[in-house]
Amino acid sequence: MSFINSFISQTIVYTVVYTLASLGIVVSGRAGIFNVASEGIMLASASSGFLTAYLTGNALFGFLAGSLMGAVFGLIIAFVHEKFKVNQFILGISLVILGTGLSDLLYKLIIGIKLTAPRAPATPLVKIPLISKIPVFSAFLTQDVIVYFMYAASILLWWFYYRTKLGLETRAIGESPKAADVVGVNVTKRRYLSTIIGSALIGIAGAYLPILITGTYTPDISAGRGFMAIGIAIFASWRPERAILGGFLFAAIEVIAFRLQVISQRIPYQFLLMLPFILVLVVMIIFNKQIEFPASVGKPYSRE
Amino acid sequence: MEKDVKRTESSTIIRNIFVYLVSVLLALGIMAIVVLLFGFNVSKVLRTLLTSSFRTSFGFQETIKKTIPLIFTTFAFTLPFRIKFFNIGGWGQMLFGATIVTVVGLTILKSGITLPAYIMIPLLIIVGILAGGFFGLIAGSLTAKYNINPIISTIMLNFVGVQFLNFIATNPYFKDPLEGHPITLPLPKSATLGFFGGIPNSIIFAVISIFFVYILIKKTRLGYEINAIGYNLDAAKTYGINFPRIIILTFFIAGALGGLAGTFEVMNIHKKLVEGFASTSGAQYGTFGILTSLIVAGDPIGVPVAAFFMSVLLVGADALQRTMQVPVELVFLSQALIVLFIVIIRQRFERRV
Amino acid sequence: MEDENLVELRNIRKAFGEVVALDNVTFSVKKREIHGLLGENGSGKTTLMNILYGLYSPDKGEIYFEGKRVKIPSPFDSIKLGIGMVHQVSTLVPEFTATENIILGTEGDKYTLPINREREKIKEMSKNLGVKFPLNVKVKELSAGIKQKIEIIRALYRGAKLLILDEPTTSLVESEFQELLKSLKALVNGGVTIIFITHKIKEALQACDRVTVLRRGRVQGIEKREDTNKEKLVKLMFMEKEIRVTESAIPKVELPPCKKSKEPVLILKNVSVEGGEKSVGLNNVSFEVYGGEIFGVASVSGNGEKELAEITINPSKIKNGDILISAKSVKNYETLDVFSNGVFYTPEDRIKEGILPEGSIKENILLGHHAKKRFLRNNIFINWEEARKTALDVIKNYNVITPTEELAIRRLSGGNIQKVIIGRAFISPINLLVTHNPTSGLDISTVEFIFKKLVETRNSGSAVLWINEDLDELIIISDRIAVLHKGELKGIFEREEFDKYKIGLLMIGG
Repeated sequence: MSFINSFISQTIVYTVVYTLASLGIVVSGRAGIFNVASEGIMLASASSGFLTAYLTGNALFGFLAGSLMGAVFGLIIAFVHEKFKVNQFILGISLVILGTGLSDLLYKLIIGIKLTAPRAPATPLVKIPLISKIPVFSAFLTQDVIVYFMYAASILLWWFYYRTKLGLETRAIGESPKAADVVGVNVTKRRYLSTIIGSALIGIAGAYLPILITGTYTPDISAGRGFMAIGIAIFASWRPERAILGGFLFAAIEVIAFRLQVISQRIPYQFLLMLPFILVLVVMIIFNKQIEFPASVGKPYSRE
Repeated sequence: MEKDVKRTESSTIIRNIFVYLVSVLLALGIMAIVVLLFGFNVSKVLRTLLTSSFRTSFGFQETIKKTIPLIFTTFAFTLPFRIKFFNIGGWGQMLFGATIVTVVGLTILKSGITLPAYIMIPLLIIVGILAGGFFGLIAGSLTAKYNINPIISTIMLNFVGVQFLNFIATNPYFKDPLEGHPITLPLPKSATLGFFGGIPNSIIFAVISIFFVYILIKKTRLGYEINAIGYNLDAAKTYGINFPRIIILTFFIAGALGGLAGTFEVMNIHKKLVEGFASTSGAQYGTFGILTSLIVAGDPIGVPVAAFFMSVLLVGADALQRTMQVPVELVFLSQALIVLFIVIIRQRFERRV
Repeated sequence: MEDENLVELRNIRKAFGEVVALDNVTFSVKKREIHGLLGENGSGKTTLMNILYGLYSPDKGEIYFEGKRVKIPSPFDSIKLGIGMVHQVSTLVPEFTATENIILGTEGDKYTLPINREREKIKEMSKNLGVKFPLNVKVKELSAGIKQKIEIIRALYRGAKLLILDEPTTSLVESEFQELLKSLKALVNGGVTIIFITHKIKEALQACDRVTVLRRGRVQGIEKREDTNKEKLVKLMFMEKEIRVTESAIPKVELPPCKKSKEPVLILKNVSVEGGEKSVGLNNVSFEVYGGEIFGVASVSGNGEKELAEITINPSKIKNGDILISAKSVKNYETLDVFSNGVFYTPEDRIKEGILPEGSIKENILLGHHAKKRFLRNNIFINWEEARKTALDVIKNYNVITPTEELAIRRLSGGNIQKVIIGRAFISPINLLVTHNPTSGLDISTVEFIFKKLVETRNSGSAVLWINEDLDELIIISDRIAVLHKGELKGIFEREEFDKYKIGLLMIGG
């Protein structure tokens, strides 16, 4: 029982990273912008988030900084795409490289080289009194604030896109921007908002890694999770309520692979580490027919 | 009216030069500002960055050493880019090519068979082509059959390639027991290439690859079909071009080129498999191949020039960190900015027409 | 005197780059009239209305609505004023239901989605207007005619006082057109003003109280229905052009008698094909096309005509049945193999499926012929010299206006692009030309050119399979006309039996 508890606890923590990142991709994707820069955004936010938390001594400020860094990236993506009609994928890949360079640069310039890595301040935990007694449930809920944020965000975004007019209009943009334009929806404004908010979510996911999970920033701390979040968004069919399921799945695989590494000597650990990545491809093959995309995601729109 | 077209052609060249110049100046300008803010001597930084490749013969040789694999990884991105697909797997293809070449080379060595260089070298080159091509083939097939975006599949394969290399380089059969870092035993001498005046002999193959890609794209039927798909997929399909077949072929060739990047690094430079060889001070050849390709927008003739330019900056970045403690990432950032500016400005020009 | 104009556009000028689409156009519409905007393709009608609707902004000129000067920077503003527009191509969100499409973007609380309540309101409104359509089906599964109705309701749901219809009869047959007229008259009685964009003189005369004629971006005249006739309108629409036209503004081209070949060139036997998202596919279709005839296929868009065009040149997609070309079964052939049997194709959407826009004219000429021995060396290398010579031939013989064969084809005008596409079909001798909507969106001279080319092809003994949405055009130069409805062949008419009403009825399943 305690094994299950500890397994879930550990998995939930990684679920946050995968889920928030893929939610961010879903949000901008629903407005038609395919954000492939997630890995770069995560790294830049991890770095800036950690540095802010470390320098201010407050973890929440770190998350704020991370989300701001994400928002800035989102603004750049929306601006360059809407104003100059640059291809979203070229833009995204360039920003991955930019984000990666920026993350290490910031750390080097501010911390430099130290013998012992600086540690991040603690993140506030939320403990709900009664539920902490229930065995499995408590593992899901005895967590830090950001985990609750993840739950709240998943539900809120589902409600937004499927139970409000504003969400209907935003989805229309992702399906057919011309149809939305013709009925008076401000396509450009929505795209800006969606991309900024989406990237901010990715930023929180990025900051979560050094602040909460490892406790310090290291180069390449995201280790491909930003890319996997793209995969999760795709086979969630861009539905916010499904992102958390995919996030949990991948987090579980990552935790299992790590634990197997420690236990078993027979399977070369490298193949266990490959597992999540191969899994993305396998899932995409299996669920190929069921996956749906917003029809216009990735394509630019102009009236003329 | 013929004059109009000729004028447009020469104005295109001038326009391109303008685009490159402005982007480089802008990006270096930003870098200069950052450098200034942190208290470095701007003119010394710029001088070190831009001229380190030319001040000593060592600098020049290092630049060529970086240009060679960069040409291959740039082509690895360029080819699928022409059919509007993004091969982010140059890195993985490079690693996998290098790994399999090492496996084959060391297996032959350990089995006691001695083969002369004129057999070993072509053999290992073919192995590298097939290995990298195989990696590319996986991504291409997934796209052709299941419509899986190659960005995702190639990135996933990159990580698989990283782990596989680590596996081989730490495996008791292959690894060098004297090294602490994951490194394999050295390849047999007959499997290695030499240097000429400090320049790796593999440069010959890099040049061959330039001709190969150029002829493929401009003169062959396959190249015509690739271009047609890039112009308009619907029209290409309507008039009989087999899209899935072209995807698979293109990704195979691209992967093969990526594999060759790794092959020659192993055969010519390190003569063994070294973990981390695909990066040069933190800059990955795969990633920088993408940047370089975006600079020239898929034009095969511009690739070697752009690759050389990027290598000059990479050598300069090394020198900057070594002599002035300026982080290499600052240069990488500027390089990413250069590409971003080029892409934006070029797009602005396109829209005018 | 109260201003009886509902809307007035004054001195409008709009240019796209060097092309002047509208030059000093003044256009006004009285309250509660049906006002026609008549002109051939490319005359600027849609551009003018897009300006009124807020999708484009004019370079010069002013807009007045209900007597007041207004600025309309986006559809949001035009909708607010009470202007609604139904575009020529559907602007509904395919994945959404009719209800969702209609309430999309409407005012009211943005943080709720009272689908049920809105659905009831829509049902009510449609009933009052005598219009029926499914409310909970994804729009992508509905026919073009129904989608149009939904779009009209969508505009009226926002309280439109002015309804702009852009070429509303594109997907309608004769009987449906009459129904539409009735609905429009009912709407006008209810207080709505209507602008009716069309290029068909007959429709303008039947539907409109007044007609403004546009030509090359300039107003040529404003006619009242009772004071005008077909001849006057033809003159205004085409002026100097020496082209004889029918009352639908289609060139009158002669079809001389011609001997059909003994054996059919193309045979379809019980062909069935899977449909796609937008269409029903084909169900057990059989017919024969002979050399020396133009075989027209009439259908409303989405009834299998696209699949018919596609499987004729790519038979590998057939589920059942057989296709024979010159008595040889081509059932499992791929496109390039079919082409090498003396067949060629011009697709419906010339920009989307017919050309490589950034490619040179030379590269475009090669498309579809790029596997032929004539253009290959050693089966691997392209013979660019031969391609160049062929391109120059086409440019000369088809009067394509271009400085060189190296120019990117997208820089040519629509008419010149179509000439290249047609010229490309004939660089090798062919027995069968499959052509789908070759004249859509083209100006009258090019349409006449294309008609003449089709007749010439037929006269030389080749077979022409002409799939066309516009029945009026088919009637002019087809030898026979077949009707496709819901993927089935509903009837074949000989030239003597051509009856627009009868054929139109079959097209909608009557």
